[in-house]
Amino acid sequence: MSLLTVEQVTSGYGDMEVLHDVSIVVNVQEIVTIIGPNGAGKSTLMKTIFGLLKPTTGAIQFAEHGIDGLSPDRIVRLGMAYVPQVENVFPSLTVRENLEMGAFIRNDDFSDRISEMFALFPVLERRGKQQVGKMSGGERQMVAMARALMLNPQLILLDEPSAALAPNLAQVIFERIVAVNETGVAILIVEQNAKGSLGLSDRGYVLAGGCNRFTDTGENLLANEEIGQLYLGG
Amino acid sequence: MEHFVGILNYIVFFAITAATYGILALGLNIQWGNTGLFNIGIAGFYALGAYTSALISGLPPSAWEGRTFGGFELPFIFGLLGAAVVCGVVALIIGAPTLRLRTDYLAIATIGIAETIRLVLSNEAWLTSGVWGLQQIPAPLYNSIHGATTRYLQGHPGLPMWLHDLIAKSYDWFYLALVLAILFILYLILERLVRSPWGRVIRAIREDEDATAMLGKNTFSFKMQALVLGAMIMGIGGSVYAHYARFVSPASFKPLYGTFIIWVMLILGGSGNNKGAILGSFTVWGIWAGTDFLTKYLPFSATQSASLRVILIAILLEVILLWRPQGLLPQKKHLSTPK
Amino acid sequence: MTILARIPQLLVYGIISGSIISLGGIGVSLTYSILGFSNFAHGDFMALGAYIALGLFTLLTGLGIPNTTFGPLSFGFGFTVAFILAIGLTVIAVILIDRLLFRRLRRAGPIILMMSSIGVSLALRNILQFSWGPQPHYYNQLIQPAILIPALNIRIKPDEVFIIVVAIVLVVLVHAFMRYTKMGKAMRAMADNATLAQVTGINTDRVIIWTWVIGAGLAATAGILAGIENKFITPELGWQMLLSIFAGVVLGGIGNPYGAILGGMVIGISEEVSTVFISTGYKPVVAFVIMILMLLVKPTGLLGRKN
Repeated sequence: MSLLTVEQVTSGYGDMEVLHDVSIVVNVQEIVTIIGPNGAGKSTLMKTIFGLLKPTTGAIQFAEHGIDGLSPDRIVRLGMAYVPQVENVFPSLTVRENLEMGAFIRNDDFSDRISEMFALFPVLERRGKQQVGKMSGGERQMVAMARALMLNPQLILLDEPSAALAPNLAQVIFERIVAVNETGVAILIVEQNAKGSLGLSDRGYVLAGGCNRFTDTGENLLANEEIGQLYLGG
Repeated sequence: MEHFVGILNYIVFFAITAATYGILALGLNIQWGNTGLFNIGIAGFYALGAYTSALISGLPPSAWEGRTFGGFELPFIFGLLGAAVVCGVVALIIGAPTLRLRTDYLAIATIGIAETIRLVLSNEAWLTSGVWGLQQIPAPLYNSIHGATTRYLQGHPGLPMWLHDLIAKSYDWFYLALVLAILFILYLILERLVRSPWGRVIRAIREDEDATAMLGKNTFSFKMQALVLGAMIMGIGGSVYAHYARFVSPASFKPLYGTFIIWVMLILGGSGNNKGAILGSFTVWGIWAGTDFLTKYLPFSATQSASLRVILIAILLEVILLWRPQGLLPQKKHLSTPK
Repeated sequence: MTILARIPQLLVYGIISGSIISLGGIGVSLTYSILGFSNFAHGDFMALGAYIALGLFTLLTGLGIPNTTFGPLSFGFGFTVAFILAIGLTVIAVILIDRLLFRRLRRAGPIILMMSSIGVSLALRNILQFSWGPQPHYYNQLIQPAILIPALNIRIKPDEVFIIVVAIVLVVLVHAFMRYTKMGKAMRAMADNATLAQVTGINTDRVIIWTWVIGAGLAATAGILAGIENKFITPELGWQMLLSIFAGVVLGGIGNPYGAILGGMVIGISEEVSTVFISTGYKPVVAFVIMILMLLVKPTGLLGRKN
């Protein structure tokens, strides 16, 4: 069942068009990865889906709502969350406070949810009162993801979650992503480290030059030698 | 006819003031319009130029003045150039610690500088006669021209009233011509500069200082040049003011008249555009003078009317910022900026 | 009196004036970190508060509200009511200014907003001058006797103790608010990263309103306290203090409210102590020089933010 449908979307910055008629689909509880070379428009796509950029043409549907043109704070209330690639935490706030901000919209007691987050990311519980700006890259990434999960979203967008992380840390992050998915959340990932994330994805899209190039299951894309040479650096 | 001459004489006075502001606006245009230096301390250079020119060309201090310095009785041109030089030097000294600062810090720093200059002018009576100010500032060629017109009028007693009034004001016509000439010369020089490679660099600095620095340009040096040049022009404006008003005191350069109104002039006219600077100064001064007439018909006191007019100018600024921040004459793209 | 003997009293004056400068500075810091621009109208918010208090007080006295003084203080119930109402009205006025003006210019960037705030500053000052005139207006004509504390060799008036106590109480309240309440945390979050705050679902518009509530509220308080201290107010009250306030904010670290407090106190004390060496006419220059020195040595300020 389709959770997110992006249909023929064109988007960009000012006069500069970056995405040309891009279409993707994410189904309930799927993990979908978008790969492609630098400048392919992957981050632009994420920002457009989440309402940080307005598409000039095309439509975006999420959980039976048309969301193209809506602002991020409306989209958040519909059950989507977004973790940007950089500056994705509040550095002067503690771990706990970051999570509290994730639940800002809620007026009820959400301490259960915080406990659930600590269960998913145990290292955060130990560091609950530490200022996030002083934490390592991997830990910050986990804070960012936990923050995004506070409102029980149906879909979470992750922009290059393993970027700037050492390979073993990236592996930890990918494991956490699988754990999150198992709680019922669909995940859309944009990644440079395609090999890592295609391995855990149900499906993948190849984006280059702002256009759809190819789509297949995660497994098939990994095995595909041509894709590997063109887009995954061999 | 009488009435017409009265209006004409007023227009001369109006034009001299507007042109003086035009000179100041041109100075600000170099600093802000082209280089992006946010100078809220214009009044400081304005006052400094005026006082310097007055002290260089003025009379030695009389017995009752608190002042012990100055009054070198040199010709006007020395006053003008002296004003430019002193302002340039002070800008150099001020620029050294402040030009590396971010825009808003620079803005606060320029307020501090203007305030310091104002306090020195008010407190150091030995130099400036403090709050009493400098009086009887000589005006260029005043004696020759005024003397000639007086002799002419005395020799021709039967002239109609309007002609008499017209000729009596000939000195003002001369001064207007002088100010317009200075304005024009400065305009020509600045237009040349702005189209030159130097101009391209300072505009690139305004757009993106880091990128320009990475191209190998010493951005600090260019900013300093713009600051100094702008300050010298403002000093010239001060000099032109002093010799027309023939009296200066710290109160003549309050932030409203000495800084804020010039900003509104440049923003309305068009930041980055020399023609815009001049257009803006005549337009805003016209609005200012116009509101003077209007408020005469309102039942308010003099200070109340003055406040009302300032509020109007402030509203004008906000309206421009909301609806046409680039001004009436937007900055021309002289050449494509280097990528 | 020897220089050393004068210092304790000057320190007292410095703490009093520093308290007022700090209260003004917190608002400037918050506006800078959350709304992203240096608000040059902040001093005039202080003046606005001071004049509204005066106007309300006159009104209330006219209506017969009693103002028998509270003990050794120079004011009573009537003035206190006027004080509190004035803070509220100033906050409303500032929020209106934001809705009508600053909000529409947010996209234009910090420099345009700064220019706009200069226009607001001039307009406010002249509205006050239009309404009340440029001459000083007195809060209180009575000379209040000072308490002598022989052990410390200082004199302090009860009103001045009141000012310091109010400043301390407000600072503690603001600290508690920022640290423990949801809105306070949201304000800190938005200061860290406004886009992320939006992405997280934080109601950024509400955060902005609260920023003005605290900033303008403190400014109004500072203005009224300045009126109590100086005994009279003029429309220029705020603009005259602006340089000292900004110096305090920069000294402490722009964007950091705690820095504004520390910086404000340092500036207040420095200005007063400087009168030992230089004439009182040059006090603002002291603030200015300290600010420039800090910008050259450590631009992020004493408690500067790392980002």
